[in-house]
Amino acid sequence: MVITVAPCISLPQSQPRAIGKVRVDAHARDGRSHIAQLMQRGSLKLLFPNRAEKALTAVLLNTAGGVTGGDRFHTTATALAQSELTLTTQAAERGYRAQPDETGKIMTELAAHSGARIEWLPQETILYDGASIDRRLRLRLPGNARGLIVEPVIFGRTAMGETVNHLHFRDRIDIERDGKLILSDRTRITGDAARTLSRRATGAGSAAMATLIYVGDDADLRLERARKDMPPNIGASQPHPGVVCARVLAQDGFALRKSLIPLISSFRDTPDLPRTWMI
Amino acid sequence: MNTEAQLTLVQWLSAGFPVGAFSYSHGLERAVHDGDVRCAESFGEWLNDVLTLGTGRNDAILLSQAHNAQDGDRLRALDTLGRALSPSRERLMETDLQGAAFCKTVSAIWGQALDDLVYPVAVGAAARAQGIDRAIAVSHYLHAFAANLTSAAIRLVPLGQTEGHAVLNQTHSLCLQIARDSADLTTDDLGGCCFAADIASMTHETQYSRLFRS
Repeated sequence: MVITVAPCISLPQSQPRAIGKVRVDAHARDGRSHIAQLMQRGSLKLLFPNRAEKALTAVLLNTAGGVTGGDRFHTTATALAQSELTLTTQAAERGYRAQPDETGKIMTELAAHSGARIEWLPQETILYDGASIDRRLRLRLPGNARGLIVEPVIFGRTAMGETVNHLHFRDRIDIERDGKLILSDRTRITGDAARTLSRRATGAGSAAMATLIYVGDDADLRLERARKDMPPNIGASQPHPGVVCARVLAQDGFALRKSLIPLISSFRDTPDLPRTWMI
Repeated sequence: MNTEAQLTLVQWLSAGFPVGAFSYSHGLERAVHDGDVRCAESFGEWLNDVLTLGTGRNDAILLSQAHNAQDGDRLRALDTLGRALSPSRERLMETDLQGAAFCKTVSAIWGQALDDLVYPVAVGAAARAQGIDRAIAVSHYLHAFAANLTSAAIRLVPLGQTEGHAVLNQTHSLCLQIARDSADLTTDDLGGCCFAADIASMTHETQYSRLFRS
């Protein structure tokens, strides 16, 4: 008698755990910016707090409570002609430990049309040990529009005794002005992030980092303003006319905010940050 | 690869080839100014990371992709990407001006039409046209990059000649490793985490007293 033993069938581990998709367009009417189009699906939501400013502020909320392997999040936001749209997040995003060979994917597509301004000002992304995230952000705009992108990242909360010894983190920010790629910022950290970032050319012992990118025809004036009293943990430069790229390193999330808030203010028309940042 | 082609590569990447490499420190001048690099050991650590987690690996990918490029459009796209990867004005200047000078000299002597490409893309395109092996071109390019930063460190830190060259010698295996690895990498694999070196290149712009252009 031949006994055939069926191979052990393992349940597919590759199915996404959380999927979220949002889309918002802002348009200008009566000197203020309003929602022109809105779509929300799955575990991403957008909130629109009451405001005094002319700009429309959209607050992104991840109801899944974080990002882990297999998650897919997609945000699309457009500031239509002459409008002003600011996007931020309700809370810090959390990158949790992923299953083996699983990676959470976050895609953000931003656009500003003629004379418009778009701002991407999320709160920190906190990466935990074992996190695996591929993130891409793309901003497209014409020469007469403005854009501000800030991405603060915390590699383990040192005050809580967290260290990140296993990480896969790829973060790519592409800026296309008038259809041409003018800035492609690529962060890539794999393996023992705490050890990698302890060295002098990398993190110089920091557990928090932020990148700021500003695009606008007043970039040189804003850079000059930002450089006044700039602490040594920040660098800022204008690689191409009308584009500023800045990096901040800090020992933890608290110190990062302290450096980042005045830096961001230099590239905004209003000195205050979105209210979610201030609570 | 014949010996003639190999000697061409050595000539292109020698310190005497007129690309002005000696005037760029890649932010090292600032790192020394700030006390982050102050001896052979700290310079060795800084150099290793810039090679493996920064411009070294990224340039290896760009050079390899340019070596594989089938047409001028692909080279132009790689050139645009190479420029877009520069986080600071001085880092862009390094790759832009060295590339332009390389293209000008290679066009004049070897009769190759090379048009203002960023440095690694220009070297990749020229190496392919001269029948120079990709991995050999990458390892020599990385060695030239490391050798240039070593002579900058010898002047800036300062280091003894022997100390400096001992550090450079230790990078040989890395240069070869990155050259091998970059065969299988694409532009999707570009990236790094030399944040402090980026900040140093940005703050070097406003440094009061400086010997180097970057």
